[in-house]
Amino acid sequence: MKLRFKNILLLAVALLMTTTACDEGFGELNTNPNAANEINPKFQFTFIQLRTSGERYENWRASLIYSSMMMQHMAALCSYWTGDKYTYNAGYASSLFDRQYEQAVRDMQDLIVTLESGEAGDQTMLGMARIWRVVIFHRLTDLYGDVPYFEAGKGFLEGVDRPTFDAQEAIYMDMLNELEQAVAQLGEGGFEEADLIYGGNVDQWRRFGNSMMLRLGMRLSEVNASEAQKWVEKAIQGGTLQPGDDAFIEHTNGPEGINMNGIGEVLDLANGSAGENCPRISETFINWMKDHNDPRLTVIASPAVNTGEFTGLPNGLDNTTILDNPTGTDIEDFSRVNQAIVRVSSPMMFMTVAEAELLQAEAAVRGWGASDAAGHYANGVRAAMKRWEVYDASLAISDADIDAYLAANPFDSGDAMRQIGEQYWAATFLNEYETFANWRRTGYPELTPVNYPGNVTGGTIPVRLVLPQGELSVNPNMQAALNNQSLGTDFATHMTIPVWWDR
Amino acid sequence: MSKKLLTTLCFLAMLAFPLVAQQTVSGTITGDDGETLIGVNILEKGTSNGVLSDLDGNYSIKVADGATLVFSYTGFETQEVEVGNQTAIDITLSAGVNLDEVVVTALGIKKEKKALTYSVSEVSPDGFAEARETNVVNSLAGKVAGVNVASTATGAGGSSRVLIRGNNSLSGSNQPLYVIDGVPIDNTNLGSAGMWGGADGGDGISSINPEDIESISVLKGASAAALYGYRSANGVILITTKSGAARKGIGVEFNTQVRTETLNNTYDFQREYGHGRDGLKPSTEAEALANGLYAWGAPLDGSSVIQFDGVSRPYSDAGDNASRFYRTGLSYINTLTLSGGNDRANFRFSASNLDNEDIMPNSGLTRRNFTLNTNAKLGERFTTSIMAMYVNEKAHNRPRLSDSPGNANYTALSLPASINVEDLKGDADKLGANADGTEFQFNDNVFVTNPYWAAYQFENDSRKDRLMGKAQIQYDITEDLFARGRIGLDRFTYRARNLTPFGTAYSPNGQISETTREVQELNTEILLGYNKDISDNLSLTIMAGGNQQRNFDETLGGSGSNFNVPFLHSINNTANRSVTFGFGEYQVNSLYGSAEVGLMRAIYLSGTYRNDWFSTLTAPDGSGENNQGYYSAGVGVVLSDLMALPRAIDFAKIRASYATGSGPGVAAQPYQLALTYGIFGQGHLGNPLGYITNGSIPNAALVPLVTKEMEIGFDLRMFTGRLTADFTYYDRATEDDIISAAVSATSGFTSKIVNIGSMSNKGVELLLTGTPVKNENFSWDINFNFAHNENLVERLLTPEGDEETLRADESRTRNAYIEHVEGLPYSQVAGFAYQRDEAGNIVVNADGLPQQGEFTYFGTGVAPTTMGIGSAFNYKNFSLSFLIDMRMGGKIYSATNAFAYTRGLHKNTLEGRETGIGPIEAANVEDYYGRIGGSITEQFIYDSDFAKLRQVVLSYNLPRSVIQKLPVSGVSLSVAARNLAILWKKAENIDPESTYNVSNAQGLEMFGVPSTRTVQFNLGVKF
Repeated sequence: MKLRFKNILLLAVALLMTTTACDEGFGELNTNPNAANEINPKFQFTFIQLRTSGERYENWRASLIYSSMMMQHMAALCSYWTGDKYTYNAGYASSLFDRQYEQAVRDMQDLIVTLESGEAGDQTMLGMARIWRVVIFHRLTDLYGDVPYFEAGKGFLEGVDRPTFDAQEAIYMDMLNELEQAVAQLGEGGFEEADLIYGGNVDQWRRFGNSMMLRLGMRLSEVNASEAQKWVEKAIQGGTLQPGDDAFIEHTNGPEGINMNGIGEVLDLANGSAGENCPRISETFINWMKDHNDPRLTVIASPAVNTGEFTGLPNGLDNTTILDNPTGTDIEDFSRVNQAIVRVSSPMMFMTVAEAELLQAEAAVRGWGASDAAGHYANGVRAAMKRWEVYDASLAISDADIDAYLAANPFDSGDAMRQIGEQYWAATFLNEYETFANWRRTGYPELTPVNYPGNVTGGTIPVRLVLPQGELSVNPNMQAALNNQSLGTDFATHMTIPVWWDR
Repeated sequence: MSKKLLTTLCFLAMLAFPLVAQQTVSGTITGDDGETLIGVNILEKGTSNGVLSDLDGNYSIKVADGATLVFSYTGFETQEVEVGNQTAIDITLSAGVNLDEVVVTALGIKKEKKALTYSVSEVSPDGFAEARETNVVNSLAGKVAGVNVASTATGAGGSSRVLIRGNNSLSGSNQPLYVIDGVPIDNTNLGSAGMWGGADGGDGISSINPEDIESISVLKGASAAALYGYRSANGVILITTKSGAARKGIGVEFNTQVRTETLNNTYDFQREYGHGRDGLKPSTEAEALANGLYAWGAPLDGSSVIQFDGVSRPYSDAGDNASRFYRTGLSYINTLTLSGGNDRANFRFSASNLDNEDIMPNSGLTRRNFTLNTNAKLGERFTTSIMAMYVNEKAHNRPRLSDSPGNANYTALSLPASINVEDLKGDADKLGANADGTEFQFNDNVFVTNPYWAAYQFENDSRKDRLMGKAQIQYDITEDLFARGRIGLDRFTYRARNLTPFGTAYSPNGQISETTREVQELNTEILLGYNKDISDNLSLTIMAGGNQQRNFDETLGGSGSNFNVPFLHSINNTANRSVTFGFGEYQVNSLYGSAEVGLMRAIYLSGTYRNDWFSTLTAPDGSGENNQGYYSAGVGVVLSDLMALPRAIDFAKIRASYATGSGPGVAAQPYQLALTYGIFGQGHLGNPLGYITNGSIPNAALVPLVTKEMEIGFDLRMFTGRLTADFTYYDRATEDDIISAAVSATSGFTSKIVNIGSMSNKGVELLLTGTPVKNENFSWDINFNFAHNENLVERLLTPEGDEETLRADESRTRNAYIEHVEGLPYSQVAGFAYQRDEAGNIVVNADGLPQQGEFTYFGTGVAPTTMGIGSAFNYKNFSLSFLIDMRMGGKIYSATNAFAYTRGLHKNTLEGRETGIGPIEAANVEDYYGRIGGSITEQFIYDSDFAKLRQVVLSYNLPRSVIQKLPVSGVSLSVAARNLAILWKKAENIDPESTYNVSNAQGLEMFGVPSTRTVQFNLGVKF
């Protein structure tokens, strides 16, 4: 009897061991019921546009705390609003770099590969996507110099987990080529309503692509004038933004961060985000508007709580040094940014008619494929004033006021570069990455630096933001980029070293 | 594996096999002092049939004809008795050498310790209840050689990190598998703090009531745990719960405890300079507010100086803020136990209530445990056993840690000396608030929260309802052969509510989240066992079985921000709302078998094999290398039974074994093989949003990691048990470790999952126990355990050679990191050294500021050496015991000290305040120390070594003579203390045991809940 049982036991165990059905149904079980294996390119493009507009994280740090304060659009006393003091905060300085590759570049590259394969979407979508890729990358390289470009965002697509850092020159040349090819690709189809910028309008996209080419081409004016001229002329010939073509994304009150304007998430006091009470409009900016009797003053700034006056906060002060300040010693003596332009539902602008016109004014001054500098200048100023209507109809500046302003501040060919540079500076308020780039290229406006104790630039305005130190340990390729740009081991010193096109 | 097949097999096994004559034997067991012995192990030799003696020393067991009974009891000599025709066998055991202990091994099988070919540590739960920890595993600290328990600075009911024989995996879990009465339980860490703050959410094992624990077996090595297959690599902790026993009537036991917890303040900051900056006292309210966190003011001189709230107060040492802010923690624990039984069935039921108030004000934990254990014999051959544990746990305001938002510790512990924390209280009716109900800010950084606001207005509440249990049936087919079927369940629902209230400075309109999570693990197992003494010189044990494990984890969460009606903190009142849903499900099927041969009762050979199939490694189309096999082989030789040894040696055994195993990790992570897209359902202006969901670069070619371990050791008992030694050497290699390797974020992903790691752990474990004195009234026991583990990350390179380090974590200061580095031990604390000249002097720049130098690996964050020294003194009815726990060789980066530099709190920052430092003027020394705090990692790297007086217990049992006059059958009284003193440490200001999470990135610290001393009083009465 025992024997019989043992036989059965052995048989049963042998049967169990040899069974091949030990993973029945596992494939189905391991299919995520909550996710898709393919995606409609339109859904992904909308997502990428919102991610380019960005989150609170990098808008707060790279855009507001550093760029807007260094550019003396804004000023603050708070100890962590350090941008106008030229001190080094590693996490703030690298924030755009830290976030954009994962947030926007990854999906961008994935979408372009999908569109290139022809399995979904069309050529017009591909053209729009390629233009948008340039929008993402030019900000990164303008702020950080040499960055991963050709291999970036391809961790899954090509298995590249430590992309090479590409020289800014190579990035610029490729971006300009991309724009040319992408514009040529635009035709039937496209993203239609999924495009948050132009609702899929192909003509507007063409003009947007050319205007980006104008911006990027002009960026090379100091480093390679002939190349710059070539691209500026090409762009102008192609046709740039017309009134009504401002490239912006409409944001909403939520429900989630991705729906909101990242700058609004920082500055909109009504919407319970950070409730940032720190920043005020810089004295430099307010006085410039006052000096020119600028109708934008009441659009951009609010009267100070204590005084009802429009008073700008001088840059470089803190809570102690403010006590010796002649124009006010309390933070509420100074003007906030007008809440109407920094709501979480405010639009985020990427490229405006004003910029396209002012760049053409400069092109005309340089004799690069445009004429009538005065006309473009006037168009630029007009568009820069009209820009704010989009934020809130009540902010509309009347044509009469604009005419009066232009009459009082006419184009002066003898002082054109300064004049255009200052107007560009004012026109790009809240697109601080662009303000910072154009200021570095042109040197206008002529900002007076501060010399705050503990600054890392020797009292000069920084000319770049700083790559994350941590990147070095996950991507040794960064070392070559540091070496090529003469960036040393003390990252705090990087801020004084210009990027390639700024040399 | 087909479930049908298993079921069929199970039925086949149970069908009509002939009955074998059985008889019942019963009796009473006493010690040589005449006292009855409770809980003596009575085992039918050569089988797994066994019972325990009850409270009166009685036992009753059914045995086969011709059986031999083995009576074993810790601390007593084991006896064997041939049953023959006897039905009543009374036994007197003599205290002394115990050579044949029975221990619980893998799959819940009891085995003679003598026959084991690997090391198993049985932990006596003595003192677990008296010196109770809210998380029971903390009680293991210092008790078992090779078991490293790191508790965290996370407040009541926090998680613990248990590590057995070192870390095996760089990215996967390194914590052991917990098995209760044969049922694996979930030990998920429900939330943890990181670089940006957060709170610990507790873990799975912390739910267990220590009083339900009969014994704990620690299966340290791969051989011991081999039958757990892919869950074996990190060791297994087997917990056996108490069961009832045959006795007269119903036994009632009541135990009550009161525990106090007091702050053990390790902070020693400077008390000479007050709030302010640049060496100046603030002169306006705005300035004082802006400088609220900084102690860079003037020397304290008692003058009247304005503070953050506009009130001027004396500029002098305001006293000890920690003792003002924290309170004395208080816990009440009451347990009622009922037990009873007869020779066919028994039960034990316990109900326990724990009520805790943490030292963090407005924070605490309540836990109710109900445990039922029943065993019954149905007819002659069926036995059933059912265990059910229900746990209801409510945590109120688990404290936030690490970064400042909502972290009360951050500010309560780091105010300048001239600020009294009580001045931050604000509105007496709403602590931490202004009169208008919003946060009362004491500094201009909105992210540094008022500690009273953080403690009283933030909410972080959770509730866990958990059911763990098993139902088991065993059929003895013949006297040698049994079939067992078992279902084990662990299921819990976790509800959490997290509130950032309306009016919080950094979130003026507030936010809230409500989360429900359901987690379940279900195991279905069948097992066939065959056990036979073929002759006196040959015994055989064979087992074969299969298991199906199915897990799911589902989360439904709602979050909202911007309360419409101020201070109405309901998610229904939020303007922006979103819903998230997470779901994961996986299954592992297993087949296993083991065989053990005993020769001459002195030489034992054993082997096991298990194969696991993983759903998580199966691609949606069914392809993939989705299974893996594990085996073990071992030999044990009892030398003392084979040859003549010196008379002093009672027992000597040598053992050697080899096993392969694996750890969880990828096996428990579904949906990792493919790139997937998610949808933001709310869309934007009517457009859906689609995006890549994977945070890691997916990899379809993953295989589970493999561990290979060789273990040798010996057991020695000498001088009639007065001295024992248990020594083990092990050498373990991990290969194909699955790493979520941090990759450049410019790749679009922050990590990629790859099989690239290999690691080694080599170490020794030594346990010595001695009884220097033992006589009628007095005994003195002493034990010493020591373990040292040498870990090395052997390989972190891909075949292309392009990965050398793996970043596991980063400190909030952003200049200290935890990295795994090829050629160095696990979890390196890394960062920047001072720049130095060739002579090693610190280099400063033209401004006199120190410079960041080389990126340096300072050492491992996991202490390689652990030691425990315990001793117990028994005199008549008194006993006194203590335990000293030591850890050595690890490093910790203290962000607390870095912030103390930046803020001018650290005593080192006193230097130069009057004289300046080099070219830096006295008023600007904060730049100097700020530079160090903000960028020089080296300054804040400490040895995390410590020795703690972990536990002291004094207990007294009322003598029999007194008890007899009372209507009770036993009374015990005890006083116990935990963590009474840090006897020795090297880190400044902090308790070196202050990490803020239980992840693999060990070695970072920042503003945790301060450590405490606990003292508890216990009264136990038996009726």
